[in-house]
Amino acid sequence: MLKKDLLELCLLQLLAGGDKYGYEVLTPLRAAFPDTQESAIYALLRGLGKEGYTEWYMAPGGGGPDRKYYRITSAGQTRLEEMRNQWRNMRDAIASFGVE
Amino acid sequence: MKQPKSLTREQYLKQFSRAVRWRLPPQESEEAIADYRELILLEERDETRLVEELGEPVQAAHLLTDVRTYRRWLKVFAVLAFGLFLIVEWVWTGRYSLTFAALRAWWYPVLVMAAGLPLSLYWFRRHGQKNGPLPRRLALLLAAVFLFGAGTLAWNWYVLSPRFLDFYRETYPVIPWQIIFHRELTINGGIVCTLLAFAGLVLAKCYDRRWLALYTLALTVAVLCSFILFHMRRMDLSYAMANSVQTYLFTRLIPIGAAGLIGTGVALC
Repeated sequence: MLKKDLLELCLLQLLAGGDKYGYEVLTPLRAAFPDTQESAIYALLRGLGKEGYTEWYMAPGGGGPDRKYYRITSAGQTRLEEMRNQWRNMRDAIASFGVE
Repeated sequence: MKQPKSLTREQYLKQFSRAVRWRLPPQESEEAIADYRELILLEERDETRLVEELGEPVQAAHLLTDVRTYRRWLKVFAVLAFGLFLIVEWVWTGRYSLTFAALRAWWYPVLVMAAGLPLSLYWFRRHGQKNGPLPRRLALLLAAVFLFGAGTLAWNWYVLSPRFLDFYRETYPVIPWQIIFHRELTINGGIVCTLLAFAGLVLAKCYDRRWLALYTLALTVAVLCSFILFHMRRMDLSYAMANSVQTYLFTRLIPIGAAGLIGTGVALC
């Protein structure tokens, strides 16, 4: 798994926990991957939408103007499960070399 | 280490919008701009760390670019822009750097138009997008280019009439002001129209595909100007030539102009 895949996994995992607007998605990911700029994460988020793993809708946000909320689709849930399995396999493979 | 430059929210959005409109298809670029507007205008966002957090605007646009589609657009743009460059060169120098043995020189600009019009119309009708009502500036520029084109043709009709050419032959080698005005009008008008055509091309990509009408009409007028210029350079003032040049030129200029007007109409639809 490349860093891009890890970011995708985290994005889908975040959205599996509930619908979120852009800033709510980008901030924790940027905190977890400080060397990655938000524009790169946003590009991945858009890519997931194009592939049908996420969708968006407009909803009122915190007294201000409407915000764009992202949610995971059923195809996204399937993809998330696949990526989780890939991640577990990779983690086990690395652990077998004694890497903690 | 190089410090990221500081941009205000408005500056960032402006640079990002420009870059993204140039690179992405219209629908996608508008979506990306709306998303970035939301991200940038958030109260939580520290304006001084905008570039650090989001990256340079052009880099952010680059990350969203579908490289294959963008390269295809760049190829189309390069072909169209090269055609315009040739017209400017031909109008400015009055000479041509390419030679097609089968055609006389004054048909060269028509070749550029014959390639540019279908290619641009095909591309923009397939990949472009209308954006609201017809822009007022576009309507004004189209009217100005049309009037200039009609005026240039009318002046040519007068200057190339057998009566005026007889007068010119009698005064030769003194060049009457009408001829000097004709030359300046055709050269400078041709150059200005080519530049307008280039602007129309860029605006059609970035804002509204109907700006292609400006490219189409301005290119047509520039082609008419270069057609006339090339022809005039090879014209002598013999009696036979003076009697036939007006008919010869206008039986060719009118169909070229009509083709350009049809192209302009299609671009506006």
